Amino acid sequence: MEPNELSSIINEKLRSGGGALNPPDSESITDFLRIVVVGVGTMGQGIAQNASQVGIDVLLIEKNQESLKASIAGIEENINHEISRWAKTESDKKAIMSRIVGSVDFSDAADKPLVIEALPDNLELKKTVFSRLDKICNPDTVFITNTSTLSVTEIAAATDRERRVIGLHFLNPVTKTSVVEVVRGLKTSNRTFERIRHFAVQLNKTPIEVFEYPGYVTTRIILPMINEAMYVLMEGVASAEGIDTALKLGYNMELGPLALADQMGLDEVMIWMESLFRELGDLKYRPCPLLRKMVRAGHLGKKTDRGFFNYDENGRIIRKGVAE
Amino acid sequence: MKILILNCGSSSIKYQFIETETRIVLAKGSVERIGMKGAILNHQRHDGDKVKLVGEIVDHQVGVEYILSILLSENHGVIKDRLEIEAVGHRVVHGGERFTGSVLINEEVMDGLQECIELAPLHNPHNIKGIRASQRLLPSVPMVGVFDTAFHHTLPDYAFNYGLPYVLYKRYGIRRYGFHGSSHLYVSQRAAVLLEKPIDTVNVITCHLGNGCSMAAVKGGKSVDTTMGFTPVEGLLMGTRCGDLDPAAILHIMGQEGLSLSEANAMLNKHSGMYGISGVSSDMREIIQEAEKGHPRAKLAFDVFCYRVRKYIGAYAAAMGGLDAIVFTGGIGENAPQVRAASLIGLEFLGVVLDPGLNTWSSQSERAIHDQNSKVAVIVIPTNEELVIAIDTDRIISEKKKATS
Repeated sequence: MEPNELSSIINEKLRSGGGALNPPDSESITDFLRIVVVGVGTMGQGIAQNASQVGIDVLLIEKNQESLKASIAGIEENINHEISRWAKTESDKKAIMSRIVGSVDFSDAADKPLVIEALPDNLELKKTVFSRLDKICNPDTVFITNTSTLSVTEIAAATDRERRVIGLHFLNPVTKTSVVEVVRGLKTSNRTFERIRHFAVQLNKTPIEVFEYPGYVTTRIILPMINEAMYVLMEGVASAEGIDTALKLGYNMELGPLALADQMGLDEVMIWMESLFRELGDLKYRPCPLLRKMVRAGHLGKKTDRGFFNYDENGRIIRKGVAE
Repeated sequence: MKILILNCGSSSIKYQFIETETRIVLAKGSVERIGMKGAILNHQRHDGDKVKLVGEIVDHQVGVEYILSILLSENHGVIKDRLEIEAVGHRVVHGGERFTGSVLINEEVMDGLQECIELAPLHNPHNIKGIRASQRLLPSVPMVGVFDTAFHHTLPDYAFNYGLPYVLYKRYGIRRYGFHGSSHLYVSQRAAVLLEKPIDTVNVITCHLGNGCSMAAVKGGKSVDTTMGFTPVEGLLMGTRCGDLDPAAILHIMGQEGLSLSEANAMLNKHSGMYGISGVSSDMREIIQEAEKGHPRAKLAFDVFCYRVRKYIGAYAAAMGGLDAIVFTGGIGENAPQVRAASLIGLEFLGVVLDPGLNTWSSQSERAIHDQNSKVAVIVIPTNEELVIAIDTDRIISEKKKATS
């Protein structure tokens, strides 16, 4: 069946003088129906699933078939986990997966109105990818970079569409965290900002407007707290378990700061802290030496089964307070 | 009067175009997958002409525009001018306490609908979108809202109050509302006609057993109790909804499994009911098939389902102080003789005696299925919610015309 068969009845009506469809107001802000996610690791998978869940068609782009397969498997695995928690059903899964397709060819992004990049937080990599996409995509296409610390302005400068480049900082796990930071680069237009704020709402997120500045809001505030918890541990004030319990029960946090660091990945925490330290230059952002030591030892947290806590194959903490 | 009936869901619009004097459905159909790739418009004219179109429909307004276009279409349509649509009747899920009957829609009513969103966050916003879209496209055509909850507004306070702190009722409107109102209204009125008795003299129990299931005690034409409550989760066992449950059980489960609110909500609404018990299916046809093959949990799901219906028949006979008729309607109620039979087992003491032959006789029409010695009539009545909405819309518009002429 022709994709635009419906237009036939409108045309027929036009011929019979029945009046035209109200033309869509070019200034009005509408939903995005098709998006591209470039770089489909943990964050990209979460973004893709979240978008598909609200009815958006998602094209995944990865560097090779193998990565693409792993990305799709990752999304399925996440949904399976949610099914086992009664949060979703098999038919939800079918519907979500039916709206997700993959490709290893950047040119498939050409006709899509929105591209979200979720590559690792590496400035050069992001610039290279956006510069490539800039040449391929329709000039109206909006580019979103998902970054927690890098400069949107600098990333945008790699393109000829700086007004239509914006940052969206999703938090992990994307599908369960209801806040998103909408980060304006220096040259991001108001219209781009309004469209992407609308997109965030379309994804069932609460958007927070953020002006570009290292670490934005969430990262800037949570990282020094995590870092401080490591100092408290290093200085022998309390055990890892004690620190986490104190913060969890004292301030109603779902995870203590050390378990949170384990979940984020200690190598990532280290990179973010170094970036804050470098950008802001204040000693309070200096990475704790204990963090450095653990990263060197390869104890990166949940993903290596060992960080401030030890984890079993299901990612549950098995023995507490092991970081000496 | 020619009336367009619209039932707007999150990504779909169902419609019927009804001539209320003759009760002929001139055309009906649906728009599905609104806001997604490959939206579908299915349209059927009363003479059997059918058409299916695929395209892109970004929102409810475009959806309604397409529905109007196909009604006006030279090849598949039934009208020549938009003005032939004399009124639009909208199904609205939740009317709260504010709407006790169908209303002519004006801005004040729209404000009231906005206030009811809190009570039905999954349904009312889409209903409102549909109304707004039709107002824009048919600015001179009167619109009527018909509420799923309205028929149950006659529940006495002792039937609709929960045993919770009263302040919660005042603050958030936490009480029992009931749903499927148009269906319970229609079949209870038909039952009185079939019994050849004035409606204000009969006690009827109506069992709407479909995707969602609810029962109502209709005394003298008024709903005095119903099984669904604040939400459609309460009461009978359903395809994937749990029905009656000790509220402390869900709190306990949430603690044990560390479930979030949305996970617990999905569990009660989508993973429970016949599907949850049987692990096989949420569809009664498959449950019956599997139960007959000896699947123990399918059998259990069937038994729980029918037991709850039976229990509420007893309860509602007591609530009304008498019983003249039991009505079955909805997909299961109309088509599953096994369910009707099992639900009525042991009710001879109430004067309910089923005729096994009539019960298993398959038909699409209204029919009595009780034994001639039964004191209580047992009737199968196919439901017709759209017709109820059309008739109510006609009534409201005609009253308004009379008042202004």
